[in-house]
Amino acid sequence: MDTAHATATAPRGAGERRRTAAVDRYRTLDVHDGAFDRITALAARIFDAPIATVAFADGDRLWLKAARGVSAGLTEVTPGPGLCAAAVLQDTSYLVRDALTDPRTSGNPFVHGDPGVRFFAAAPITTADGHRLGTVNVADTRPRDATDEQLTALTDLASLVMDQLEVRLGAYRTVAAERELRSRAESLARTLQRTLLPPALPTVPGLDSAAAYHTASADQIGGDFYDLFPLDDGRWAFFLGDVCGKGAEAAALTSLTRYTLRAAAIYDPDPRAVLANLDAVLKGEYQGGEPRFCTVVFGVLEPAEDGGFTVTLASGGHPPAVIVRADGTVETAPTPGGQLIGILPAPRFASTRTRLAPGDALLLYTDGLTEARTRIRAMLGEDGLTAYLTAVAPQGADDVLAAVRKLLEDLGRGVTDDTALLALSVPTRDTTVPVQENR
Amino acid sequence: MTDRVLTATTHAHPAGPAVIAVEGELDYYTAAHLRQALQETAFTAEGIIIDLTDLTYCDSTGITVLVTAYHRAQASKAPLALVGLNPDLNRVFGIVGLHDVFASYPTVDEAIAAL
Repeated sequence: MDTAHATATAPRGAGERRRTAAVDRYRTLDVHDGAFDRITALAARIFDAPIATVAFADGDRLWLKAARGVSAGLTEVTPGPGLCAAAVLQDTSYLVRDALTDPRTSGNPFVHGDPGVRFFAAAPITTADGHRLGTVNVADTRPRDATDEQLTALTDLASLVMDQLEVRLGAYRTVAAERELRSRAESLARTLQRTLLPPALPTVPGLDSAAAYHTASADQIGGDFYDLFPLDDGRWAFFLGDVCGKGAEAAALTSLTRYTLRAAAIYDPDPRAVLANLDAVLKGEYQGGEPRFCTVVFGVLEPAEDGGFTVTLASGGHPPAVIVRADGTVETAPTPGGQLIGILPAPRFASTRTRLAPGDALLLYTDGLTEARTRIRAMLGEDGLTAYLTAVAPQGADDVLAAVRKLLEDLGRGVTDDTALLALSVPTRDTTVPVQENR
Repeated sequence: MTDRVLTATTHAHPAGPAVIAVEGELDYYTAAHLRQALQETAFTAEGIIIDLTDLTYCDSTGITVLVTAYHRAQASKAPLALVGLNPDLNRVFGIVGLHDVFASYPTVDEAIAAL
């Protein structure tokens, strides 16, 4: 055994800085499963002593990672001379037979005050590269001796603590590395997703437009998409939809869907024909594997004499578009019976025609909105959305979008899916007539 | 994300069909449980009943799993029925046009009588 003289003064300099860094590396590890409690229990039993602790020495502080026989909740202490602070400077075990008479511990408050330590033994917790992080300690309130076997066992327990720390640090690093990889993959998928949305909507003469993508969760991207683009005959086409699934696979399906819709619109812009083309392409692409589908509303805008537009809409499995009329009434553009695209043997696509007069606004949305669960966990649904828009009575695309975004914010965590929004409106032509009082 | 739970329990009904009882939230994170239960079920002429009475939520991935089962039932000429669609699921089925695809019944007994 080693009872060589040691001072309680911690050495300073580069070596101590490296040691402190090593302590920090392990000290922050959470060991809450009782592994160190079993170590202190064993140490106490081996020495038949009432007090045992696992302590890390960090500069002039001691951190108790496990302790028995001391005040509950004690996790951090200022060490006095001659006990842990001295033991951590030793390469081997450390022994004080009677602290009251031992000159090394003469100024220690734990000796002269509570709990009145008389006997103290410790073994250093040493890293593979030789840094002593702290000590496993046993103490008694009466003076006594320790056998070589007991001190060897204490050294073994200190090695066990080190093994535990290494295992946990390894696991922690693996988890951290995996988390980093996953977050990088997610951010890549999200970047890809952004490239699938038009950076800005084109300016359509006589039409206001606004769009938004509401992200429900940072760690899984959805596959919502929208677009607005000119046809070569003076008409305009738009679409909004949602693909099944999440993540990179959804992003790939979104890309295929968006590209196909634009290509199909050039070939034959009839909305139902566009959806049928998309259906054929998806079935060809995902033959054999797990089927993939999307839901889409596709529309064509044709300028009308009165400055408004005639809108032809077709839906494949998508919630109906909502129209906020100039007088504040809210209605849906029903497309009942339209089926999922890309997954059913002979799907039907429903179409409808409506007019957008000056002051009217059309809202397309994906189901993150209507599947949003309100606080009572009931789904908001189309009725909820219609009632909300009726109460708020927004006017124009920007106003409609702002109202719905506010609704999404209010629903907060109830929105569990990404939501895409596209609003189109016809500006009121006569701006000399006050539209409405300030709201 | 970790609090989402789904169980899919399969048993053979005395009348013949395999009944898969699904309980919980069927979504992107939990769909694998039902997918596996379906894979482990033989699609025979006795029929398959998917009991959704205790399903509280179903997202697009869940729909994919159900439609995949429909495809398999068509291919193996096995009758397939859904049971106990709650109002939310009924609404979703209406929007995506699946009422015309699946035979659905209020209870397992009614499904068995119809199969």
